[in-house]
Amino acid sequence: MSTRGPVLRVEDLHVWFDLPGGELHAVQGVSFELHAGERLGLVGESGCGKTTSILACIGLLPPNASVAGRVYLNDRDILEGGESTVAPHRWKDVAMVFQGAMNAFNPVKRIGDQIAEPMELHRTAKGRAARTRVVELFEMVGIAPERVDRYPHEFSGGMRQRAAIAMALACNPQVLLADEPTTALDVMVQAQILELLVQLSEELGLALVLVTHDLPVVAQTCGRAAVMYAGRMVEDGATTDLYHDPKHPYTRLLFSATPDLYAQEHIVSIPGVPPRLDRDIVGCPFQPRCDRAFAPCPTIAPPFVTVAPRHAAACHLNDVALERTQ
Amino acid sequence: MSSDAGAPLLEVEDLVTRYPVSRGLMGTIAGRPRLNVHAADGISFSLRSGEMLAIVGESGCGKTTTAQTVMRMIEPDGGRIRFRGSDITTLSHRQMRPLRRQMQLIYQDPYESLDPRFRVGDTVEEPLIIHGEGGTKDGRDKLVREALERAGLSPSELYVERYPHELSGGQRQRVAIAASLVLNPSLLVADEPVSMLDVSVRAGILDLLAGLRRAGLGILMITHDLSTAAHYADRIAVMYLGRIVEIGSAKEVVRRPQHPYTRALVSVVPSRDPRTGPRPQLLKGETPNAVHIPPGCRFHPRCPQAIEECKSVDPQLRPAGGEGQEAACILVGHNEHLDAEGGGPGAPTATAPGRI
Repeated sequence: MSTRGPVLRVEDLHVWFDLPGGELHAVQGVSFELHAGERLGLVGESGCGKTTSILACIGLLPPNASVAGRVYLNDRDILEGGESTVAPHRWKDVAMVFQGAMNAFNPVKRIGDQIAEPMELHRTAKGRAARTRVVELFEMVGIAPERVDRYPHEFSGGMRQRAAIAMALACNPQVLLADEPTTALDVMVQAQILELLVQLSEELGLALVLVTHDLPVVAQTCGRAAVMYAGRMVEDGATTDLYHDPKHPYTRLLFSATPDLYAQEHIVSIPGVPPRLDRDIVGCPFQPRCDRAFAPCPTIAPPFVTVAPRHAAACHLNDVALERTQ
Repeated sequence: MSSDAGAPLLEVEDLVTRYPVSRGLMGTIAGRPRLNVHAADGISFSLRSGEMLAIVGESGCGKTTTAQTVMRMIEPDGGRIRFRGSDITTLSHRQMRPLRRQMQLIYQDPYESLDPRFRVGDTVEEPLIIHGEGGTKDGRDKLVREALERAGLSPSELYVERYPHELSGGQRQRVAIAASLVLNPSLLVADEPVSMLDVSVRAGILDLLAGLRRAGLGILMITHDLSTAAHYADRIAVMYLGRIVEIGSAKEVVRRPQHPYTRALVSVVPSRDPRTGPRPQLLKGETPNAVHIPPGCRFHPRCPQAIEECKSVDPQLRPAGGEGQEAACILVGHNEHLDAEGGGPGAPTATAPGRI
C-alpha cells in the first residue's frame, strides 16, 4: 500500500432512481478506495449498479436520480455541494471513457478538434497549445499524429477507442473511469486496448477503474477487483485472492460460470436471478441463489468487513470461519 | 469427437457468398468498378449428427454469412451445400420449405427475437401452425409443452401463458430454443447464442445445446468466443477474411494451433486466473475489410512469420497437427521449431486444458 492517501475514496454511496413504477435503489452503500497507479476492476452482471456507481462519482446521473454518500478526491468531498463542487473536477481530475465512447464521436467534426474541446472548456490549453497537446495524446495512445485532421469514419473501431481514451486523458486526470472499454471490440483489439490502459496507468501513475462484466479481462489487467451484486459490494481484494481464495460464494460461482481456455473444469451456471431493486431486500441479497446459505442469511444482511489483509467481503460464512480460528 | 457414425448431416463445399458494395449514383455515373465484399470465399466443412462444430472468428470474418448461406437465407454465389446427402444449393423456396423444419436457427438476442405481444405458448406454437404440424390445437399444445420441457422450461405450465417481458434473458433464450425444437429439427444453427446473456446463465444455455447434441442433433455454433467454443464444441473452425484457416478437434486447435492466426488468437484470450499470465502475441492493426483481400495468403500482411512466398501463394487447407486437423498455411509442417521452443504463444503452460 502506498504511504500517501488514496486518490479516490468512495464512502457509503447510495443511488435511487425515481421511476414511474416506484423507487429503484440501484446502489445500496458502495465503498472503495483507489491509489495512484492502481488498477481496480469493478465487476458484476448487468443491473448490479457498477456503471451507476461510477457515474455518481462524477455527478453524471440523470435528473431522476438522487445520490447520498461521499466521494473524496484527495481527501476533499466532491459531492458535498452537488454540481458546483463536482463540475470543476469532472474530466480535469476524474475523466471517463464511456461505454460505446468510440461510437459517440461527432461524425462531421475532425477527431483532433473534438479531443481539444475539453481542454478549451477547462481552460487547460487552447489554439496551438491545444493542438500540440492533441498530437502528444495521439502519440501516447498509439495513433499516428498525422491523423489529427481525420474524421471518425476514417478510423477503425480500435482506433476510435484509442481516440476516446486520448480525449479522456486530455486534461491530464488523476483518475480514469473506463466503462466496458473493450466490450464491443474483437479479442485481438481488446488485447491491444488493455495493454494500452495498463501502460498508461503505469507511465502516468493514473488510477484506473475498469468497469466490466468480463472477469478474465479484470484478472489479466487489474491487481485488485471489487465484485458487486444487487447494488452492493460483496467482495474487494487482490484479483489472485479473489480467484484462488474467494471470501464470497458469488465471487466463487461467478468464476465457475466463466469459461476459460486454460481450465479443465466444466463451467456451471448460477441458478436463479438477482433480486429486484425496487423492493427492500431482507437478509443477504445473494442468499436465494447461494449454495452455502445457512441460518442467518435470509434475515440478517451481512456487513461488508475486512476478512483478511487487504481483503473485504460481505458474507456470514466468514464470521463462522473467524470464530473457528479463534 | 463424436464422429464416424453415418454420412454427414451437412456438407459444405467451396461456398462463396459475396455482397455488392454500393457505388452510389455518382460512382455509377463515373463508371467506378463494381466491388464486392467477399464474405465467404471458398468455405468447406462438414457436420455430422450428434456433433457440435463451432465457427470462430472476429467480426467481419464471414462466420454469420456462412451460417446464413448454409441455411439458404442468403443465396450463395458458388459452391455446394448438401443436407442429409442431397444437394440443396439451388432448390427453390418452395422446394426448401419442407427442409426448413429440419434446419433451425437460434439468434443472438433473445430480447429481439421474441415478439413481445406473443405469449410463450404462442411463440413456440407458431412454427407448427406455419408448417401445418401437430394436428389439432390439443396436439399442438402437447408438442409445445414437450418443446418447453426439452428447453429446460419445466414445468411447462408455468411458462406457456407468460409474456417475454416477464422472463429473464436466459429464459427468453430457452423460449427461442423451444420454438426451434418444436419441429424436431436435425440441424441447429446457433448464432452467438449466449453473447447477450449474463455470465451466470450462459452455462445453462450451453449445457442445453450440449444435451441436444448428445441426443443426436447436429449443431453449428457461430461464436467470437474461443473459450466457449473450446469448452462445448467437438470441433472448431477458425475463420479469417472469408476463409477457414484452421479446422480440427476443439482440443487440438486450442492446445496446438497450427495456423499463425489461430496461434495469435489463442494467445490473446484472457484467462480468468490472474496467475495464468497470457503471453499475448499482439497482431498489428485490424482485420482488413473483405473488399480488398490481400493477394497470396490473406493473412500475410499481419502474419509475424510471413515469408516472401506468402505474398503470392494462396494456401489451401491441408493436414497439420493432430488427427483431422487442417491449416491453410504454407509454413505448416515447418512450424515444429515453434512447438519445440515452448509450443508457440498459444500453448498453455502449467494448467493444460483437460476436459474441453
